[in-house]
Amino acid sequence: MKRQEAIEVIMTTINPRDAVVSTTGLISREIFERFDSERNIYVPGSMGLASSIGLGVAVAQPTTRVVVIDGDASLLMNLGSIVTIRNKQPTNLLHIVLDNGAYASCNEERSMSETARLDTLASDVGYQYVRVVHSQEDLKRATMEFGQGPGFILAKIKLGGRRDFRRPLELAAIKNRFMLFLKRPTQGD
Amino acid sequence: MNRDDKGIFNALAGDRSDKADELHKVFRELGVNFASGVPCGVLRHIIKNFDDDEAVLHMIANRESEAVGLAAGAYFGGKIPVVYMQNSGLFSASNDIASLLVPYKMPVFFVVSYRGCEGEDAVQHLTTGWATERLLESFDLPFEVFGKQNLETLIRSMFETIRKAEVPTFLLLKRGWHR
Repeated sequence: MKRQEAIEVIMTTINPRDAVVSTTGLISREIFERFDSERNIYVPGSMGLASSIGLGVAVAQPTTRVVVIDGDASLLMNLGSIVTIRNKQPTNLLHIVLDNGAYASCNEERSMSETARLDTLASDVGYQYVRVVHSQEDLKRATMEFGQGPGFILAKIKLGGRRDFRRPLELAAIKNRFMLFLKRPTQGD
Repeated sequence: MNRDDKGIFNALAGDRSDKADELHKVFRELGVNFASGVPCGVLRHIIKNFDDDEAVLHMIANRESEAVGLAAGAYFGGKIPVVYMQNSGLFSASNDIASLLVPYKMPVFFVVSYRGCEGEDAVQHLTTGWATERLLESFDLPFEVFGKQNLETLIRSMFETIRKAEVPTFLLLKRGWHR
């Protein structure tokens, strides 16, 4: 499973009412190009902050489920965030980390995720739901089975794939539609 | 936080400050209902007021960048956030302000303690103290150093500016500002 397949599984498995916060680099660019939607917020700068932004949305909008799509290096850059997430215990937050062990949006320089045991850290710190997955099938199942958060899915992915995605540029418009999306009352659930 | 822990958390905050209370009142009248930051002694009265007010969702952050991210997320979710930090932390968080809040046009109000100006006794603050206003000027973001101004008028005018311009702004508070 590469980034492309992981993103496909996540974006087609989560509920249409879920908000998505995606991290810096190719993850956001791929989601923007292939799955752009009013429910998405991209974090093109401020690397590392996707999980903090997701937590902010989750506590401000406790009836909306928030899916953070993070990377291993960006999580390592803001690792204290998992402590804050556990402290606030947002039941509506699912934190997915696409772990290719590298700064893949740069030149695939190795990150330190191989020795970081991110799932153990998430579990030890007190995330309510922790899964490690290596395949699309397992990622789909782990995403579907997520109930009470905070949840953490470590998706081990391989390097490689497309790099020539467009960049999200009209960020103020993306903000406005995202804020309208969050304001809309949830239906049925 | 357990309410019984407040006394420990605010061990240094024994005295109240009318200025800080006035600031809090204006914040609340302007709709502020979210606060995040990294504590600084100069801001202790402000932080205690956030902590004591059930109507403000207050989240201490591990570092200043995290506070910027939390405030951005809360703003997306409809909250009106204030971020607080020492000016040393402003430098840590400067890229997050520039690459998240500015392009997303987020009117986030920052309360920043201003160390390293005249009378400073700690050498680690001197360089950031010298550079603080220069940093904000170089970002072309509005800021105010609190001195003799009427606090309420100042805060209201700063909020009006950032709500129109959709940019973050910074209130710089020197030691002893609250007296």
